[in-house]
Amino acid sequence: MTCDALVVGAGIAGLQASLDLADQGKRVLLVERQPSIGGHMINLSKVFPTLDCASCITTPRMASVAHHPNIEMRTYTEVDRIEPVGDRFRARITQKPRFVDEGLCIGCKRCEEECVIYVPDEYDHALGCKKAISIPFTNAIPQLPVLDMDMCLLCGACAKACPTDAIDFRQQPITEEVEVGAVIVTTGYETTPMDAKKQYGGGVLPNVISPFQAERLLAPHGPYGGVMRPSDGKIPSSVAFVQCAGSRDASLGVPYCSRVCCMYAIKQAMLMSGSLPVADITIYYMDIRAFGKGYEQFYQNAKAMGIEFVKAKVAKISEDEEHGVKVRIERQDDGCRPEEVTHDLVVLSLGMVPAWVPSRDGIVPLEEETDRFLKTRSILTPSLTSMRGVFAAGTATGPKDIVDTIVEASAAALEVANYLESQLAGAAR
Amino acid sequence: MSRGPQVGVYVCHCGGNISDVVDVEKVAAELAKHPDVKVEKSYAFMCSDPGQQLIIEDIRSEGIDRVVVAACSPALHEQTFRSALQRAGLNPYLYENVNIREQVSWVHKGNHESATAKAIRLTRAGVEKVSRQDPLEAIRVNAEPRVCVIGAGVAGMRAALAAAKRGLPVTLIDKADRVGGHLLELDVVYPTGEKAADLIDELEHEIAGEDRIELLLDADVEGVDGYVGSFTVQVAARGEGADRREIKAGALIVATGFSHYEPHAGEFGYGQDVVPEVLTLPQFNSLLRGDAGDYLRVGGRDVRNVALIHCVGSRQTPGVHEPQPDGKVNDYCSRVCCTAAFHTVNRLLDRFPAVQVYEVYKDVRTYGRGHDELYEQASKKGVLFFRYDDEGLPVVVDGKLRVRDWLTWGEEVEIPVDLVVLVTGMMPGDASKLIGSMKLPAGADRFLQEVHPKLRPVELANNGVMIAGTAQGPMDVLESCAAAEAAAGKAAILLSRGSIELDPFVARVRAEECDGCEKCLGECEYKDALTMRTRPEGGPKLAVVNAALCVGCGACVAVCPTRAIDLAGWSLDQFDAMVDALVAEVV
Repeated sequence: MTCDALVVGAGIAGLQASLDLADQGKRVLLVERQPSIGGHMINLSKVFPTLDCASCITTPRMASVAHHPNIEMRTYTEVDRIEPVGDRFRARITQKPRFVDEGLCIGCKRCEEECVIYVPDEYDHALGCKKAISIPFTNAIPQLPVLDMDMCLLCGACAKACPTDAIDFRQQPITEEVEVGAVIVTTGYETTPMDAKKQYGGGVLPNVISPFQAERLLAPHGPYGGVMRPSDGKIPSSVAFVQCAGSRDASLGVPYCSRVCCMYAIKQAMLMSGSLPVADITIYYMDIRAFGKGYEQFYQNAKAMGIEFVKAKVAKISEDEEHGVKVRIERQDDGCRPEEVTHDLVVLSLGMVPAWVPSRDGIVPLEEETDRFLKTRSILTPSLTSMRGVFAAGTATGPKDIVDTIVEASAAALEVANYLESQLAGAAR
Repeated sequence: MSRGPQVGVYVCHCGGNISDVVDVEKVAAELAKHPDVKVEKSYAFMCSDPGQQLIIEDIRSEGIDRVVVAACSPALHEQTFRSALQRAGLNPYLYENVNIREQVSWVHKGNHESATAKAIRLTRAGVEKVSRQDPLEAIRVNAEPRVCVIGAGVAGMRAALAAAKRGLPVTLIDKADRVGGHLLELDVVYPTGEKAADLIDELEHEIAGEDRIELLLDADVEGVDGYVGSFTVQVAARGEGADRREIKAGALIVATGFSHYEPHAGEFGYGQDVVPEVLTLPQFNSLLRGDAGDYLRVGGRDVRNVALIHCVGSRQTPGVHEPQPDGKVNDYCSRVCCTAAFHTVNRLLDRFPAVQVYEVYKDVRTYGRGHDELYEQASKKGVLFFRYDDEGLPVVVDGKLRVRDWLTWGEEVEIPVDLVVLVTGMMPGDASKLIGSMKLPAGADRFLQEVHPKLRPVELANNGVMIAGTAQGPMDVLESCAAAEAAAGKAAILLSRGSIELDPFVARVRAEECDGCEKCLGECEYKDALTMRTRPEGGPKLAVVNAALCVGCGACVAVCPTRAIDLAGWSLDQFDAMVDALVAEVV
């Protein structure tokens, strides 16, 4: 297969870059390792500072990509290697087995209904359960189920229920070679692990949750249908956010600022205050970095809503016998005294680390910055990586929010289009 | 007998955004009773692929020829569903979007029953409207293959180059006599430490070598006429024998940049002949660029103690800070100033290590790659930090700076200073002629306002007009360059097809009803959108609509005494039927 550009990663950066390139008449192959496109954004409840419902604004982008005549999509597919061949690139990609025949499946969910095994739902960040064979989430694209072979009993109930005989227990990975003119790396981020900071409960306290779990609790179609704390389903009357729980912390190897945590915490605090009108909501912070357009005003609105902002670095998190979360702080604004405050639910505002390191395992030798995100060439051309013909956008080059990601993705698409034209012109000469 | 309209009604749960408040099954069931409704369904996310597929299947197999989706605001998904109709082979305008989220579930949370009744009324009105809908065709206008970039700072230069390399002729205009904008004020840029002059040279050299770019310096943009695909930009050269010219362009990129916040007289001691000297950060930067010898001297005095006050002209609070002439304070964060301040302080201390620096700040917002490093370097060089808030603004008087410091739990601190540097923020550059002539949207912060702050960050609501750089809001060089390339990409997408499609919802005149009274002409606010023509066959004059210039506001429709004018897709008959449906009893 031959294409103008390979886009690696179908989060919002990859979706936008693919659309902009395809709209400029370029043929795009978009590869995503998850079973659905949409990235982290489709998983969020609402986005700051507009408070738009994330599903509502991400699904149209996903649908446009899926229907664009110039875009070919490969989901549940890994990129094994990208190597330059002359002025172009050869890439090897491997599609993982879903154990469902894509050509036969009609997305009717009968297999899901019949399956008897429940597994933790990754889409709900393990707060809820799903069947061992299931479509990843309601608005997933494509609407194809994935069978979790590690959990499957091979009982055959799904195969019996399937009206088109699409279940294939023997499905094997499919490796494909593609030839492309340019590559855009939009592989995004993952959060720092919950157990990274031992002083913060080591990831085992049930009512200390990740920001993604908070997003799912707040989503209207979330796992509990409301905000409850995981240990006992109690509706929390006191919620706290711990800022810089995975950033600006050299002890974690993450000395940099992750740029989005202040804003997502403020947003989550606002949404919590909407869901839990009588709850006390506190944000423990070092600096509030509300630097984007309209963000400072958003922060001031949160303060006006009664959300309490306490400048304090959290020293330690533990729990009491009822799984209440004890937060040890030093209040800088009130006599500098150490204090222990108990909350029903605590959200750790985790930072961002790269989700994919292309140079690891020799996939493609792109240079990294000291922060381990991809290095870019100049402040005048933010999408150029260390390798000619390979471009990057979004959180692959460092933490950033959705709007900055979208701008970069459009910029990268433009750079790639120009690069491809110059290659053509060069070839013509 | 011809069959009547066959309407499909689809009610969206929007996860739970709608269905937690509105009984969506009941809405669907009530609509099923309408004689024109052939199919009715509800679904978790209509905008998702399977949701759209429901509609497509029904058009293909159930003979549906009109569609109503009751979901969120049309601003979000009208296009989504129109394209679904198109994929199914139906005219995309035989579609009506009913908003039962923003207009119902989000605003009537406490009352499920009346919310459901309202949703039923609105959806019925949608059915009445779509039943009377004609198939429409998008308006097609030619696209002039040229981009006009207004402003030749780093964003304008980058945008011009990006568009030109994309094969588009570009006219790049600036009022100054040279390119570079505010970048000319800087010595080196953060975080890379590159020489600003080198960056400008690089871009200037590339522009000179690009024969698709026409550069107009010393030129003022007086105004813009026309519409997407066919703008006319009036440019007046500055100076003696100033000539005027018109530039035809299919798309515009506005890169009019920012201006530095100018402190009020007396603001933190600014502009008063007192000790200490008070300068703004840009003034201090240009002072540092000069050769200051072995000692830092300002105003003829040696400087040993420098205090920087952050957030001057940014993050202001009404009632605390003095407003601008428009009555508003600058309540926004200027994004770049924290890092810019540390960048300057590090350079200052590298040259004059004996100087003691104090930073008086609210929050340190060194967010970007390499920014926190500058903060850390400053700390390691012995800079002392004091944190203030609006209840205890710093006071500069008699060689001292007094501030209530929240890093030492609210202690009143007095710092001896020879020099105070005000870390000033950004205000938008002058785009008033563009805003005036094109009705460009500006936000409460006075910067140009993009279509969607999340999803469409470099486009304005005015079709064919893009924004690049700090005309939109504070950003640094890297961010301005990314925005500029994105804007050029949007221009390229727009102009690449040779013609542009516009919505068909414009006024249309039934010639046989028009009696040439010209009342409509008096109401129309849009230049050349409506004109009177003589009929070749004789008789009264005829009102004629220029579909590309008409915005479909309906002012002409309202004053026409003969009902000769209608808006395509929003006819008076449709409104009559909708009103009847809205006031009819629910069950």
